[in-house]
Amino acid sequence: MARYTIAGVEVNRVSLKNLLLGDKVIYIAYGFLVFALIGMIDVFWDRYFLVSATAFDAGLFPGNREVAAAMKEAVFGSGGEVKREAPWSLYIVNYMYMIYVGSGIVFLVALAELFNITLIKRAAAGFLTLGLGMILAGLFTILVDLNILHLHWMLLSPRYNSGMWLMLPLYIIYIPLIVLEIYLILSHHTNLAKKLALPILLMSLAVEFLEFYVQAKLFDMNSARHLWTTYPLLTFYFMISAFTASAAVMMLYTFLVYRNTDRTKCAAMMDLVKKITLYSVIALGSYEATAYLFIDKKWAGIILFGDFKFYFYAYLLLAVAIPFVLLFKERSSKLAKVIASVSIIIGTYLGRIIFVYGGNAYPMSDRFGIGFEKYGEYEAVKEIVFFMPSWGEAAIVIGSLGIIIFVYRVINLFFSVSMMREP
Amino acid sequence: MNFAMALDYQSCIDCKACEVACKEENGVQLGADKQRIWVTQSEKSIFGEPFVVLHPSQCNHCQDAPCVDVCPTGASYFAIGGIVMSNKETCILCRGCMEACPYDARFVDDTHVAVDKCTFCYDTRIVKGEMTTACQATCPTKVRLFGDLDDEEGELVQLLKHRKFYVLKENEGTVPKLFYLLPEHDMNYAMNSVNEETNIYTWDEFKPLIEKAKTKRSSQWQDIQ
Repeated sequence: MARYTIAGVEVNRVSLKNLLLGDKVIYIAYGFLVFALIGMIDVFWDRYFLVSATAFDAGLFPGNREVAAAMKEAVFGSGGEVKREAPWSLYIVNYMYMIYVGSGIVFLVALAELFNITLIKRAAAGFLTLGLGMILAGLFTILVDLNILHLHWMLLSPRYNSGMWLMLPLYIIYIPLIVLEIYLILSHHTNLAKKLALPILLMSLAVEFLEFYVQAKLFDMNSARHLWTTYPLLTFYFMISAFTASAAVMMLYTFLVYRNTDRTKCAAMMDLVKKITLYSVIALGSYEATAYLFIDKKWAGIILFGDFKFYFYAYLLLAVAIPFVLLFKERSSKLAKVIASVSIIIGTYLGRIIFVYGGNAYPMSDRFGIGFEKYGEYEAVKEIVFFMPSWGEAAIVIGSLGIIIFVYRVINLFFSVSMMREP
Repeated sequence: MNFAMALDYQSCIDCKACEVACKEENGVQLGADKQRIWVTQSEKSIFGEPFVVLHPSQCNHCQDAPCVDVCPTGASYFAIGGIVMSNKETCILCRGCMEACPYDARFVDDTHVAVDKCTFCYDTRIVKGEMTTACQATCPTKVRLFGDLDDEEGELVQLLKHRKFYVLKENEGTVPKLFYLLPEHDMNYAMNSVNEETNIYTWDEFKPLIEKAKTKRSSQWQDIQ
């Protein structure tokens, strides 16, 4: 393949046809992106074009059956994209998962860079691109969640001390730093890459801490989101589970990218990542085993024995038990590692869902300080406990996978980030 | 001016008149639960007999409102008189304010694609010089009394001077301005309305908290006329 050298980086010459229709990976990305597009159309239609009847309409047309039917739909029906009872749902699950896991990958790669772990350093550019893709996928999800037509007010009327603005400067620095690190690796500036690893590592941790502060601490005052704040040391849960998922994603990535090109290095790298994954799984299991000693017993009861028990045990089984059994052996097969990775990825995602939906769904509010009150707003969905996400919401989450694949594939096509490099 | 409301909640009969009036005035779907205004039933039992406490509620218009702090665009703000407002034009629907509110007083208004809440009828009545809210005006049992905390001779402060009261979730430090008047002549009702940790206040005890919070926040009050 013909190459140019620009600023010390070899850039592959890629034809437009190759860029847009080159291989099966791009078709997989397109498949997911179609979901994103359909989801956005669905969400925006519901949000901006759905006509909703109000009390005014009832006053203007008293006794009108159509208005009455429309009002009934508006109050009790499934119309409208955003529901009061599920204000932060699948969007926030996906956003937090992607941001945390993406930052976790960046953190682990930066750590490997600092400690000269050659195996990881060889594939660092690819790992970092994957982490970057996940962070961008998370930002895509949350962007769709916001009222896009009014987003210009973020610039026209900013309130910088609010939680959301806390993250913006961080991302403005963090994302370019990851890009710069990829550049330094590709341009063989190994010493500079190592020096930059420390601030990147610290910023990855800052992202994990600050995201918790911004997202979870907001729940501190809201009793309907009681689950978030009753859980002891929740920030550590978020971080440990994110690192577990990050290691799992890295193991799966290693298998998918290197299984045919460099089998020996692939096996060695998978073994190394396996160890990181195993330690993370043990840490996560230890956390879950001890957390309930400190949690409010009512909430512990709900999670352990109540309506959330199946989801919670599924999370424990997939994120902790199955991977532990598969990875604990001295020599796990590749297949076992892949199954463990997929299991962790699904399990930790389920863990995020439990926290977001659990807080939203369970009608347990002590707003008046005189015991848990009757919370009629959840009656309609009591049977299913979880609020089912709308089709559009689910499609956007599926579409975010397309963002990861697309970002990775395009960068890889031009810069061959998946290539193993001698550090 | 420092607008607030006292609620003689023992008189509430859950007739929904306040809710209908509020929703009609503000174009909210009738029947939509917990949008702008609501009445919550807290159920208990005394010697096996069920006992229901009705708590009419809405935005508490906190003096030290967390919803204002978390808003990234200033869509949540204080209007003159310390009324917490929500601007539909600048709301980006991040829902941070909904999460920050300890009283679950905010909701997404699908017709405007923005977060909405009780405004003490600021835009529909108060700016026009009226001194009553739709909910107060329609309540048949006179549960609600809207007024000005700065007016020592006013009806609201006079009532607070003569009755003991409490506020919701005081430990959140938001200094709310919905004052729940403790039932005077029915100790059973009073005891079932509050828990052991609820602080019961007199006006002289609570006034310094109000003044302190007002001093802290009044520079942020905006004139929307």
